[in-house]
Amino acid sequence: MNEFSQIFETINFGLIILNAELKVSHWNHWMARHSGIDEKQIIGASLFDFFPAINTPRFVRNSNAVLSFGNFAFFSQKLHRFLFPFKPVGSFQSSMFENMQQNCTMGPLKNDDNKITGIFLIVQDVTELASYEQKLVELNTKDGLTGVYNRRFFQTRLNEEYQRYKRSGNALSLIMFDIDFFKKVNDNYGHPGGDAVLQSIASKIASIMRTTDFLARYGGEEFCCLLPGTDLAGAYILAERLRKLVEKTVTPCQENNIKVTISLGASQMTAEDSVETFLKRADEALYQAKNTGRNRVVPIPPIDISVDSSS
Amino acid sequence: MDNISQISEEERDILQEIMNIAFGKAAADLAEIINIFVVLSIPDIKIVMAEDLPGYIKEEFSEFGNISIVEQNFWGEFKGSALLIFPADSGKELISLLGDNDEPSYEPQSSDILESETLMEVGNILIGACVGKVAELLKDVVTYSPPRVIIEDHPSVSMPKTLFDPSNAAIILKTVFCFNERNVNGFLFLITSNNSVSWLKKALVDFMEQYE
Repeated sequence: MNEFSQIFETINFGLIILNAELKVSHWNHWMARHSGIDEKQIIGASLFDFFPAINTPRFVRNSNAVLSFGNFAFFSQKLHRFLFPFKPVGSFQSSMFENMQQNCTMGPLKNDDNKITGIFLIVQDVTELASYEQKLVELNTKDGLTGVYNRRFFQTRLNEEYQRYKRSGNALSLIMFDIDFFKKVNDNYGHPGGDAVLQSIASKIASIMRTTDFLARYGGEEFCCLLPGTDLAGAYILAERLRKLVEKTVTPCQENNIKVTISLGASQMTAEDSVETFLKRADEALYQAKNTGRNRVVPIPPIDISVDSSS
Repeated sequence: MDNISQISEEERDILQEIMNIAFGKAAADLAEIINIFVVLSIPDIKIVMAEDLPGYIKEEFSEFGNISIVEQNFWGEFKGSALLIFPADSGKELISLLGDNDEPSYEPQSSDILESETLMEVGNILIGACVGKVAELLKDVVTYSPPRVIIEDHPSVSMPKTLFDPSNAAIILKTVFCFNERNVNGFLFLITSNNSVSWLKKALVDFMEQYE
């Protein structure tokens, strides 16, 4: 084995050489180990026969570009996650990624006359890096106690949704809610009781949200749900569902079963609104719900309550 | 500065002609091989001092407002930096140009990442095609650094120090490109350092000889 072959086989990257028809001519140990496909099996075969999912327009376009222009092509983990569906290695096996995260690079191979005869492909395992990045993003955007989004990220999303509303004019609503007599929960059951209530309410509510809805902890016991594509009537119906859900929820804490209720305010974005006036109206609605008996929903402007009976 | 006069009017004309041929071939290949239809204008050639480059670039882009820059360095006998300058929102348009936005491999909230990755891919292909064709005509072989996207309102482009000694001259080739179907315009700048000049002069002579 010559020196370069030894490096080719022992390096901690996947290395593949393809000919101009994208048939495999070299397949290093790293690739064999992670794919379970032996060099002998795959050499001479089309890469797509073994990995049909790689046969995407993007992959074909980039390999054509490499073969005709001699440039490089990059398949970054940020966009593609991975090219080859391999299992993650070691401690990342059971973690957040189902597949090994990969950065892949593709480049030309030329003969002595500078004619491009094939492609090399480098596969780099970046699972560890990607998982750190994901953890950092979570730390930055999520509330540590409840696991829903934090206030800062809510503001970011609110501004984005506001811009989208300005462009598209699609409905945008907001529900703001607050746990009733939360101070009493803390007084009666201590802070562990208060924390348990916050956690169980947040997770119950998160479980019935649509994927486009956005739930955030806004302050101590105050939460916001941003609802793109939902008008005020829709927000009202959802708010009533949330109210009933919380009413039925029992939070066990040591030997106690804690029950709480929530008050909710709802508003819908109008053409005259800024982010601030939109938020303020929901806050005002929540305030009215608190002042008119709690455990209830107040939309501003008021809407026909008959929608309630149908839900 | 002597460096600036190192390229004669005639050589500049030859270079312009080479660029013209190269970009024409690049556009034809892009259309034929990857179905990307791009129009490249006749390149404009300028020679400035490397230390004036950042100011020059800033001025060139002032009309654009917010911009996205794809930067890629290339190394061969012909070496330098390629900059592709897009108006800030082009990424969204280009995603549909590539036509594989239905790939499920990204998450919906990462639209910024998708945009910058798309800019990088389009940039990588466009720069590769243009630089590759110039190198081919001049019988050179080039390699490339990975592309990098810079998105900001006040562009500050960092030129690799090893390529651009501030006291040297830089040759700037400016081209307007346009993706017809998407109505996306931008500039392609190839900035090559003075170090390439003596090689370039020889390559230009060789290039002309085949027609004489």
